[in-house]
Amino acid sequence: MSEIKSESVSSLVDNYSPSADDSVSAHLVDNMLKDEHLSSTWQNYHLIGDVLRDEVPQSLQLDLSKTISAAIAQEATILSPNSSTQGFSQILAESIDSSSDESITIHKVEETQSNNRVIDATNRFKAKISALVKPMGQVAIAASAAALMIVGVQHNVGSNDLVTPSQVVQTVPLTGYANPVSFNVQSAQPEPSLQSKQQTQQAMNEQVASERVAQQRRLQALLTDHNQQVKLGSNQ
Amino acid sequence: MKLPALFLLLFSFNVSAIAADTESAKLWLERLSQSLRQLNFTTSFVVVKNNQAEPYHWLHGIGENDQELEIFTRLNGPRRDVLRQGAIVSYIEPEQEAYSLISTDVRGPIPTIFRGDITELEESYRFISVGRSRVLGRVAQLVRIVAKDKYRFSYWLWLDQKTGLLLKMAILTRQGQLLEQIQFTHIEVNDQLSENLAQLQITELPDVMQLTNQTQNKALSWQVDWLPQGFSVVKSNQHNLNSRNRGDDKTVDFMLFSDGLTEVSVYVNSSIEKFRAPEYASDGATMVFNQIVQGVEVGVVGDIPVATAKKIAESIVPLKVEKIKDDSQPSVRE
Repeated sequence: MSEIKSESVSSLVDNYSPSADDSVSAHLVDNMLKDEHLSSTWQNYHLIGDVLRDEVPQSLQLDLSKTISAAIAQEATILSPNSSTQGFSQILAESIDSSSDESITIHKVEETQSNNRVIDATNRFKAKISALVKPMGQVAIAASAAALMIVGVQHNVGSNDLVTPSQVVQTVPLTGYANPVSFNVQSAQPEPSLQSKQQTQQAMNEQVASERVAQQRRLQALLTDHNQQVKLGSNQ
Repeated sequence: MKLPALFLLLFSFNVSAIAADTESAKLWLERLSQSLRQLNFTTSFVVVKNNQAEPYHWLHGIGENDQELEIFTRLNGPRRDVLRQGAIVSYIEPEQEAYSLISTDVRGPIPTIFRGDITELEESYRFISVGRSRVLGRVAQLVRIVAKDKYRFSYWLWLDQKTGLLLKMAILTRQGQLLEQIQFTHIEVNDQLSENLAQLQITELPDVMQLTNQTQNKALSWQVDWLPQGFSVVKSNQHNLNSRNRGDDKTVDFMLFSDGLTEVSVYVNSSIEKFRAPEYASDGATMVFNQIVQGVEVGVVGDIPVATAKKIAESIVPLKVEKIKDDSQPSVRE
């Protein structure tokens, strides 16, 4: 029985569930937590694994769990800043009730209370400050980001409107006198039936596209030649 | 009684203030010109236009025998380099074989006049020194080169207070719309020649191009009747305008004009089509305009507003007086 159990513990350590069923391994873990022998086996197996994998720390702390629980036991109870005064008035009341030697107790309590008041006040102060500063900081960050965006947008507005990045030359129809190519073609069409309308539409689209390409080519040729001629300058 | 006198006083103050601004702007531009010719510098900049940013390297230095050495390199896409050794400038481009020219003008994104005699611009532009700002982590002086008329663009230059070099440049319309920007991202000024330039110094540049004579001394049959003030002819010729190996070459009458800061090309040829509506495209600040009116195709290209291009195109008239032009004109293509 114990051998089977330690085998399953071993496979658990190696991250394999002893059976496919999850509830069994959960059960096993429960068992292991109750059984001191099994938990020490668990611990030892981990240690063996660490040694094999060469992951042992230089100073070997054999029983961490004990030191941790001891440390937890020693740890002072931390009162939240707000509740600490309440806690004190309770303690005060209790000590007054229970103690027969009032003067000593009250004296003691007063002493601790005065000490704690200082701590309490600073804690509260910090809490308030952090509560105040946090949103302010967030607001400040948000505001500066917004300001940056506005500045950025304003800077970009001028250059943004005309262009798509893929083309070297972007043709822009000119309102007023240079109509877009498509505009000229479409306005000349009469009212045809639906089917022929679709056909003409398609033909028109093709025509427009080829016209655009031709236009693009014309303008590109001009631009290239201009750049070339500028480079040559008045050079003879 | 006293009021007109007060106005007069104010006015005179204003005038003197403007004059002072212009004077200091001119000094700044002269300093820029000097720095661009005399300093050893290594810079990087981006040209922002058409929603795109093109990065460049620009190196300049003084080599042996006071020879100016210069490298312009476009960093993205196919290589596009301009190399200069003194009076020889080489262009290395993807479209054609590398070639050299005898010239001191390096045609890059930065106007060549900035290293030349800035007073040439005074006919068409006003210089205004505006104020200081911070560019590239340095103190920069903003100088505006403002067009005197509505037919061209204005240029804003941010100049380094320490070295006088260019830190930023913007080309704007009269309405203040931004068309093109050059922003420097790195500037380094050294006493020593940088390694790349030292290497350029011992590099053999491509052969200086033998310019072919394509014009056959044929007089142009068209002339431009109107140009904005300050533009003058740089050259005129007839050459083939080819759209890159597509076989539809056509011969055009070509004229190149310049106002010192920017160039305008005008292409004229007769067309089979009778009419084609004006069409235009813009590449940053460069405008390409094309139209056919009464069987004459006119193309205008340059860093000018569309209205100017259109006005130039409309002013094309047949040349009535036969003038014999025997300019032998260059062309790269043969």
